Amino acid sequence: MKTFIRAVEVWVPSADRTMLEFGGGLYGKAARFEAMSKTLCFGRGEGLPGQAWEQGKPIILKQFDGSYFRRTQAAHAEGLTCGIAMPIFAGDFLTSVLVLFCGDDAEHAGAIELWHNDPAESADMKLVDGYYGTTADAFEYISRHTTIRRGNGLPGMAWEAGLPVFVEDLGKGSRFLRADAAVKVGINRGFAMPCAVQSKQNYVLAFLSALGTPIARRTEIWMPDAARENLTLAGGFCESRGMIAASSALPALECGQGTIGKVLLTGVPAVTDNAGSEPAGLGRIATEAGLETLVAVPVITEGRLVAAVAWYF
Amino acid sequence: MNSYIEVQNAEMVFTTRKGRFHALREINLNVEQGEFVTLIGHSGCGKSTLLNLIAGLTLPTSGVLLCDNREIAAPGPERAVVFQNHSLLPWLTCFENVYIAVERVFSKTESKAQLRERTQAALVLVNMGHAATKRPHEVSGGMKQRIGIARALAMEPKVLLMDEPFGALDALTRAHLQDELLKIVARTKSTVVMVTHDVDEAVLLSDRIVMMTNGPAATIGEILSVDLERPRNRVALAEDTRYTHFRKAVLDFLYTRHGHVEKVAA
Repeated sequence: MKTFIRAVEVWVPSADRTMLEFGGGLYGKAARFEAMSKTLCFGRGEGLPGQAWEQGKPIILKQFDGSYFRRTQAAHAEGLTCGIAMPIFAGDFLTSVLVLFCGDDAEHAGAIELWHNDPAESADMKLVDGYYGTTADAFEYISRHTTIRRGNGLPGMAWEAGLPVFVEDLGKGSRFLRADAAVKVGINRGFAMPCAVQSKQNYVLAFLSALGTPIARRTEIWMPDAARENLTLAGGFCESRGMIAASSALPALECGQGTIGKVLLTGVPAVTDNAGSEPAGLGRIATEAGLETLVAVPVITEGRLVAAVAWYF
Repeated sequence: MNSYIEVQNAEMVFTTRKGRFHALREINLNVEQGEFVTLIGHSGCGKSTLLNLIAGLTLPTSGVLLCDNREIAAPGPERAVVFQNHSLLPWLTCFENVYIAVERVFSKTESKAQLRERTQAALVLVNMGHAATKRPHEVSGGMKQRIGIARALAMEPKVLLMDEPFGALDALTRAHLQDELLKIVARTKSTVVMVTHDVDEAVLLSDRIVMMTNGPAATIGEILSVDLERPRNRVALAEDTRYTHFRKAVLDFLYTRHGHVEKVAA
């Protein structure tokens, strides 16, 4: 099964915090792009990761040609046409930059949207930018003309909760405000997560994907306990098993345990290309579902990790 | 620069025999000068309550409403209201119905001749100059509503507040008055806030459509910017894909909400 997210990479500050260094990645079949990426580092404002660091907010870069993107030829050779960079701040402290790549071809339907609210200016959350792949114009058109209030629509739900939100079927999701347009262009799954930025701005990244090309093959949302020593599974969705309930009988992950537990320890996204070896029964589930790789992403609010998102591919 | 109308964190709680009813929550809305905004949502979602707050007919339980940087604490001639039922005085002629509003606002600064001139101009503006001497029961429902609009416009309000002004009219009359309203607003550059249940009306008239969630404790769910060029022609728009997109977006919002209401009711 192909996924809408085709490559993931993590960039972490160097020891002297002057550069962003390669901190791991999942590139699927994009081996040449992977090889090139591993040799790079980015200063503040350099390349897509450096720009996300400089701007202090997520970026959706849809046009590599003629931009600050430094790997245009290699990306195009692998069919990657859009990059989404998400700086992850714990307060003022940049922990890392997560970069996701998508490809614009007929086999990958979906959309990624960046929504923003400036509480000093407005009660509205407005679309900053969006990558709509091969989806029809109608959905993008309405998104660009819509402002959303806290608690309404997929981005508004994530904004209000301050937590990741997953909607299994947007057509049935009574709170997804653009359901009709989404279903018409084949989008049926929705996932939104608040972005940890430096300022008191509210940013939400919304991932909308179609049945044939889900965001990832399995999405899990993990929540820390009060003592912040463990993560427990709060829910999610598996393309082969359906909805994952909070009571999935999986044991809690200790801080630092496995790829997901590592996120609670460090506040930095973590990847593995051997999901089958994950602890606490996760590896067995991954193996049974044919899932090979995993990226875990921290969701940080006001300097504290409030959730971890795990995407399996 | 501040907006012309500002609703800041308005809450409305009514005290009823059955207890407190939380009608509106966290209402934040800015309306720019010259903007045409419609409020749409299901029955009981508080559209009219919000309009009444802007009109100053009711005061919020908490929060602040401003018009031209002044707090809205009572009704005022700068904010004229047109209701669904025309609210004309049946014993007065159409001219007199408009004249009493004009007199109330301008009698201290203008002569009676000027007041009469202003009244007649308002009737002509809504194409009702010919019916000046008729009484409300002698004219049609659409004409009555035009008189109501003329009365509101004659006060030269800075804001025109309309509560389903065409809701009680047949479809053809409604369409005609919508077209008239578009022309009038284009001429007067009025700021308009209008409550409607009619999706086509909302898309045709609005710069922005404010879609409200279901009550109780209703709030603004989503706002759609309708950037179709003006003047708008309803026939041409019927084939415009942008119009279709906007219409679908509003229907989607209302359809989803409506389904929810039915489930609750069942």
